[in-house]
Amino acid sequence: MPLRPDLHMVYLIARREFTTRVRSRFFIFGTILFAALLAGYIILQAVVISRVTTTVKVGFSGDAAVLAQPLKAAAAPERVKIDIHQVASAQEGEAQVRDGKLDAAVSGDAASSEVAVQDQLDPTVQATLSALVKQAALNRALKAAGADPGTIEAKVAAADIHLTLLDPNAAERTQRDVVGIFIAALLYVSLLLYGQFVAQGVVEEKANRIVEILLSTVKARHLLFGKVIGIGLVGLLQLTVLGLVALATISRFQVISLPNIGVEAVVGGLLWYVLGFIFYALIFAAAGSMVSRQEDIGQVTGPLSMLVVGTYLAFFWVVANPDNPVAVVLSVIPPFDLVIMPGRMATGDAEVWQVLVSVALTVAAIIGLNILAARIYTNSVLRIGTRVRFSQAWRGVD
Amino acid sequence: MSGHGLELQAIRKRYGSLEAVRDLSFDVRPGEVFGFVGSNGAGKTTTMRIVLGVLQADGGRVLWDGAPIDFDFRRKIGYMPEERGLYPKMRAGEQLRYLAQLHGSTALAAATATDRWLERFGLKDRATDEVQKLSHGNQQRVQLAAALVFDPKMLILDEPFAGLDPEAVDSMSEVLHERAAAGTPVVFSSHQLDLVERLCDRVAIIQHGRLVALGTIDELRGKGPLQVWVDAPAAGGGWASGLPGVRVIRTDGTRVLLELDPSTDDQQVLNAALATGPVREFRRHVPSLLDIFRHAMTEVPVAATA
Repeated sequence: MPLRPDLHMVYLIARREFTTRVRSRFFIFGTILFAALLAGYIILQAVVISRVTTTVKVGFSGDAAVLAQPLKAAAAPERVKIDIHQVASAQEGEAQVRDGKLDAAVSGDAASSEVAVQDQLDPTVQATLSALVKQAALNRALKAAGADPGTIEAKVAAADIHLTLLDPNAAERTQRDVVGIFIAALLYVSLLLYGQFVAQGVVEEKANRIVEILLSTVKARHLLFGKVIGIGLVGLLQLTVLGLVALATISRFQVISLPNIGVEAVVGGLLWYVLGFIFYALIFAAAGSMVSRQEDIGQVTGPLSMLVVGTYLAFFWVVANPDNPVAVVLSVIPPFDLVIMPGRMATGDAEVWQVLVSVALTVAAIIGLNILAARIYTNSVLRIGTRVRFSQAWRGVD
Repeated sequence: MSGHGLELQAIRKRYGSLEAVRDLSFDVRPGEVFGFVGSNGAGKTTTMRIVLGVLQADGGRVLWDGAPIDFDFRRKIGYMPEERGLYPKMRAGEQLRYLAQLHGSTALAAATATDRWLERFGLKDRATDEVQKLSHGNQQRVQLAAALVFDPKMLILDEPFAGLDPEAVDSMSEVLHERAAAGTPVVFSSHQLDLVERLCDRVAIIQHGRLVALGTIDELRGKGPLQVWVDAPAAGGGWASGLPGVRVIRTDGTRVLLELDPSTDDQQVLNAALATGPVREFRRHVPSLLDIFRHAMTEVPVAATA
């Protein structure tokens, strides 16, 4: 079933934009380079984090083996992970420590264990082991005194401090903030880059006058929409590739302990890219249509680029002051919401109503911009020569 | 003459204080090669853009077969803009297929026509080359192919011969005649008046956006004042300057070119020449299009009709 003729035109134009750009060396190598940098950055983070969560391989032999499970249970899993190994003898354990196969070899009596390490033992592990050994000694003494260590242990276990969690999500919060800033940065770079591509694409057609041929067979606004859609899809493809690379790297290196944050952030980021791109692409296209030479693009897109950069910088303040009313307002009003809202969604600060308001305002802004941009573009795109003044572009007369 | 082919009725276009096109009316019939002549800035490109719908006229109508021209028909006009327009980084064949589809061809028809025209212009093996890598002449050929590739119902070519080598001029002329013979009206503008004279069935000359002459080359020749070449070698210089109703246009050795007022009898001029001695030549001057053009540029606009 063929598309409506109008849609077919838009499709043909979008397809040309998409295929010629995706095939270009710039896109292919740019995406590979960008993905490599992104993965490298995440891996670097993973290395930094893995320094924090150390895995300690401990070998046990003889009676000391009873300490193995309590040690594993006692170690804080988010900081120290204990790998338990059985070794045949103390000598065997020491040999393995020398070889680097083990970090520590525990042998001898449970109440006075020998611990062989290369040069140092992780302080948490050391403290835990030491406490367990003291416990074993205590149990033995209690038994010797005729008391039942089981009863006493139960009583001791019942006695505990009462922990009040003032900020239970603090660790998660940090991770979320990092992800949020990351998403905002990626969006801001993409909006800037692909917005600029739209402006360049418009000026290219104007500069080499093919626009005259195109406009003899296509309506100006269809040319505009096709171009915006085609270039937008190229950006979406690139961001999707980057998002998948990021997610794959994150899951491979277990950078964040909350796996859903990454997926949610990437999906949310892609959806917001679509909105943000359409918003800026229309403005960049209209701006581009007002000049005739590539050299002059800066004049009209410079202020727009500043705006995108500004919204990104504003996001840092918003992250630091998530509950400030100004932050809430900025996160729902276009063009600020385009970078700030996806960031805030990733940090977990955005409430559902805020997201809905933000989307509604953005869609409304896009509808308005669509009319404005189509009008400016239609009136300007055939005017070759000096920069078209805004009043001319708006009224369509000289 | 209305009802068939292209018709412009009282087209007007103003850019600020500049009247680019004023009350321009003419028609182009199917099967006709129509030359559009005028100095730079005379309004040729503006008029062509208005016909294409790329520009909006301030007034007047453009008709095709008696009905206002619409977008669907405009899509079937093959257009070659004065400033060449192609995507430099797109491959020649791909570009032609794309433009054909934009003008409404199916993907299959676009591919077939692209191959056909590339072959016709000897560019078959350049189909996968980027346009920017082709020579200037070959880029021009691709540009013309872009106007032809969707089997247009009318051709509008703005300076199609500018910068072409003689061989390319010949192949382009051939294609234009072929299309016209197939019933497609061909409108083209050119500064090369000898080419226009050779190729066109009819010519429109415009100046400052106004039509100053319209008709076949022969009709336009007949419109000017009578001019005669007289070679009277025995006569001294200036023998003719005293004759009533006669102006000396040019002197070439012993020959003079005279322009006669409509009321002046050429036989009296001949008698005057014979009075000076032998007359070796007395013939009517057939003006070239260049002469007609120059004349038209100096004359007050005439409301010429075909």
